[in-house]
Amino acid sequence: MTTATQFKVLEQNHPRVDAYEKVTGRAAYASDVYLPGMLACKLLPSARNHARIVSIDTGEAAALPGVRAVITGTDFPDIRFGSGALRDRYVMPREVVNFVGEPIAAVAADDEATAQEAIELIKVEYEDIPSVVNPLSAMVEGAASVHPELESYEGYGFTLGHNVSTLLDADRGDVEQAFRDADVVVEDVYRSQGINQGFLEPMACVADVEPSGRLVVYASTQGPYQIRAGLAAVLEMPVSRIRIVPMELGGGFGAKLRLAFEAFPALLAMRTGRPVKLVNTREEVFTMNGPRLPVTNYVRSGVMNDGTIVAREAYTIFDVGAYLGAGPNSGIGHGIGAYRIPNFRLRSYGVYTNKIYVGSYRASGVADMTFAVESHMDHIAQQIGMDPYDLRLHNALREGDVSVSGAVVPSNGLIETLEAIKEKMEWPRQLEDGHGLGLALCEWRSGSGPSTAAISVNDDGTVSLLTGSTDISGSDTSLAAIAAEALGIPMGSVIVAKRDTDMAPYTGQSGGSRVVYSQGTAVQRAAEDTVQKLMALAAERLGVPEDALGCEDGRVYVMDNEPQGLTFAQLAAASITSRGGPIIGTAALSSMPYTPVFATQAAEVKVDRDTGQIKLLRYVQAQDVGVAINPMAVEGQLDGGVVQGIGRALTEDQQFDPDNGAVRNPSFASYLMPLAIDLPEIEDVLIRVPAEDGPFGARAVAEPPGFGPPAAIANAVYDAVGVRVKQLPLSGERVLAALNGDYDEIPFDVEALRLAEGII
Amino acid sequence: MARFDYLEPRSLDEALRMLADGGNSTRLVAGSTDFLVRWRTGVWRPDSVVCMQHVPGLDHITWNPDDGLSIGAMATVQDIEQNGDVRSRYPALVAGATAFAGVQVRNLATVAGNVCNASPAGDTLPALLAYNAQCRIIGTGGERWLPMDEVFVAPGRTALESGEILTEIRLPPPAENTGGLYIKHSPRGAMDISAVGVASVVSLNADGTCASARIALGAVAPTPMRAYGAEGRLVGQIPDAANIAEAGRLAAQSCNPIADVRSGADYRREMVRVLTERTLSHAVATAGNPPSYDDIRRLAVQTAW
Ligand SMILES: Cc1cc2nc3c(=O)[nH]c(=O)nc-3n(C[C@H](O)[C@H](O)[C@H](O)COP(=O)(O)OP(=O)(O)OC[C@H]3O[C@@H](n4cnc5c(N)ncnc54)[C@H](O)[C@@H]3O)c2cc1C
Repeated sequence: MTTATQFKVLEQNHPRVDAYEKVTGRAAYASDVYLPGMLACKLLPSARNHARIVSIDTGEAAALPGVRAVITGTDFPDIRFGSGALRDRYVMPREVVNFVGEPIAAVAADDEATAQEAIELIKVEYEDIPSVVNPLSAMVEGAASVHPELESYEGYGFTLGHNVSTLLDADRGDVEQAFRDADVVVEDVYRSQGINQGFLEPMACVADVEPSGRLVVYASTQGPYQIRAGLAAVLEMPVSRIRIVPMELGGGFGAKLRLAFEAFPALLAMRTGRPVKLVNTREEVFTMNGPRLPVTNYVRSGVMNDGTIVAREAYTIFDVGAYLGAGPNSGIGHGIGAYRIPNFRLRSYGVYTNKIYVGSYRASGVADMTFAVESHMDHIAQQIGMDPYDLRLHNALREGDVSVSGAVVPSNGLIETLEAIKEKMEWPRQLEDGHGLGLALCEWRSGSGPSTAAISVNDDGTVSLLTGSTDISGSDTSLAAIAAEALGIPMGSVIVAKRDTDMAPYTGQSGGSRVVYSQGTAVQRAAEDTVQKLMALAAERLGVPEDALGCEDGRVYVMDNEPQGLTFAQLAAASITSRGGPIIGTAALSSMPYTPVFATQAAEVKVDRDTGQIKLLRYVQAQDVGVAINPMAVEGQLDGGVVQGIGRALTEDQQFDPDNGAVRNPSFASYLMPLAIDLPEIEDVLIRVPAEDGPFGARAVAEPPGFGPPAAIANAVYDAVGVRVKQLPLSGERVLAALNGDYDEIPFDVEALRLAEGII
Repeated sequence: MARFDYLEPRSLDEALRMLADGGNSTRLVAGSTDFLVRWRTGVWRPDSVVCMQHVPGLDHITWNPDDGLSIGAMATVQDIEQNGDVRSRYPALVAGATAFAGVQVRNLATVAGNVCNASPAGDTLPALLAYNAQCRIIGTGGERWLPMDEVFVAPGRTALESGEILTEIRLPPPAENTGGLYIKHSPRGAMDISAVGVASVVSLNADGTCASARIALGAVAPTPMRAYGAEGRLVGQIPDAANIAEAGRLAAQSCNPIADVRSGADYRREMVRVLTERTLSHAVATAGNPPSYDDIRRLAVQTAW
């Protein structure tokens, strides 16, 4: 295996390739796009959460001076589309609204104020339909139907009855027998809250129709090809008539993986023949664009007295809101956590309710599962009188075990992450009163999916790297580092091209921990292809066989006679008149093998017994990164993820009105993300067990850091004051209630779910 | 985002005239930190805005032993937080200022604006109440003084008449052997609206009994309020643990909190009890011996004790 010292570029800190543009404010975001004659777009949100649109009167709005066009749902083709597994929605509702905030009309006007004025002149007559807001009530016979025609939707696979959009399952072994054989059975219900992705840059886009009729959209997106496909579907246009230009991305975390609001300015641009810009407000981000919705998790385990977990049952209810904006699929694989459990029954229900639709967020659903599973681990430890660390070590997955999906677990650093945390946290440790320590294990897999790259060699020996991936959290810098390492040239000799969907080859989204891992592998292979072509040309020019040549430091040379050789610059110049023509290396792949990512995290807290408030004193994480492409960027990802997880644990809580499902706190003044003042220094330990695949042995990094904090902190609170809070966030109010003994368990009728499947 | 005319008077007289001319469709602004939010969300839609930024002579903070502290209408929360006289004599007000928003907002927000905005959760208000502040109010008809506990009428409503301007807030000089603290209860260490805020100011007699005790509560009633019952329990008494606990209980009883996205009502009430005890204990412990700014800041905002 390659070791860190063998690298020339990797395992060293590199500032971002776009650092100058970013710090000088020159980097262009979608809202920085100004085109001549550009109009401003504003949206009208639905005031009801389930209602028939009796009429929308846009007359007065359209007549307002400065207004150029007004559109409603019926201006779009009558086509359902989907952003999850099901085609369950219209881009703008035609007859029925399904959540408060759903955009039901859009205006293009000369300026924003006029557009907003026009929006307020639109008159909507609604006829309310019975609605349902709580997913557990939505599953009950007789509940109002969010989608009465559900069974006719394309992609619908089950007839499950009420409001259940999806049911995913995973089973292994003889679960009932294993529970009967177990010495102890531990059962819990956990609930996690609505979470907003909290990216800095609200959705923004500019749509423009070229004279040829081709649609160009400048967008803030993680998935330019996915937006193109979405627009093609809802506008009934071939993808070839659409070009997406991804601008700098001010954060997305999953919220910008798919079509968001781009269709509204697009249709308005088509209607008016003028460019149309839409920049969402923060309130619109909160009320119109899918966040994560609350998750209820029933977990039961059968355990032997020595700590061996022999059986696991997990029923997870994912509230998906009005539409399946993102599937509950990430959740299902995580019901057993990072452990070898031979018998399991796992179920994930996606349940419709009349509130904002569910979206994606940094491994959707896994943080919720990890909170449940890792809190439950500590509960098990407590029940059998075992140290929580020992329990985890005893059950941890090892190489050769079989993952939930059936894939064999390859070599990995899980045990090393556990040991690193034990050492760093000096576990177990006696603490003063009111202080506590808690652990959580996190597991994920390196992201796969279609990836492409092209590298061309310039006259001066530098290279230009072209991929279709939008830069996310410095991924361009990591891709440049991979190319530089593989080509044997310095970072500064790699130019990362700005791209759009016309220019770059198709690629998957920038999300799901896949860019550096999958896209990076494509870059590495394209670089290797480039080197091969350079060697072939050098062999031809130097008159020696290819296998007599070496390639290092931007130069191809004869191994027996190092001074004899050609630099990349010379080869690039020569290539122009060569048989093969200019040098361009390419690579493409469609998927990557299962490569797990493991991390162990630990929190040290102090609990205020009078207010219930938690002070986070220390947070430590150890993650197996395989190889750190750019350690500074890796730590940035780890720290950022943990901070998001700390927000989930302590303060973030997107709340919904129990009657109409409306978002109660659509602002950063009431949706509380942690600030620097709220955080301890986050201590990172990078474990390096190289992946069998992936660029130079690197594993994905991005998602796992966010999973651990809710459970690690909840476990630390238990350690500190002896109460277990099973509901997020761990607010002072909840902790104090638990301390006072008036904390209610979350009701969950697991019998009914088992019965529905015929399990007695 | 309705359009409005923007007016910049150069004197108080001119400002009063502009307010009188504009009537109810005019809005006076100081730092505009409340104004901009409400304008953008459409809650306030004035035809014209009168900005006091260029009215001279309103941004002072001065102290003298006879009159106490004088805070001009344009003095910012940051000015208060940084002022040496305030730091050494009015620690509860410094605590309210330092717990307020973040530096950027503090640099714009005025204390007078905090008063006139009359949010039950305004962070400087409990301390102003506990220090017995007086408001100097001018109108076209002249000038009047109003004690702080008569200013707040309802959420967002004060006793100021339309067209009146609050020009100065005055805090009497504290008696010898006075201590005070404000604690802001919120899940986050900064940039957060108080779920509960409590200020206590205690003056001790030479024999250790309370000469006066003033306790003011924020975010637990339609307006910031004094906890008179709890105060009465302490005056003339030794402020020992039992008496302080009793005062905490009485303060909790006297408030009338609501449940909202930040907190439930019962929890708020319980926090009033805890914070009343904590602020009182600290006020007693530091009477005549003011804590350092760093201590005040830590106590005002720390999330867990
Ligand atoms: C991001 C953010 C965070 C905030 N955090 C906090 C916080 O932590 N704690 C807190 O208490 N507040 C907070 N606020 C609210 C706000 O900053 C305060 O209420 C501030 O003190 C208002 O002062 P201003 O000068 O900006 O008032 P303005 O917005 O200019 O005016 C507010 C109101 O007072 C009236 N007014 C202002 N001055 C006078 C005067 N001299 N005479 C008569 N009427 C007057 C105005 O007409 C208006 O109705 C926050 C606001 C924002 C935007």
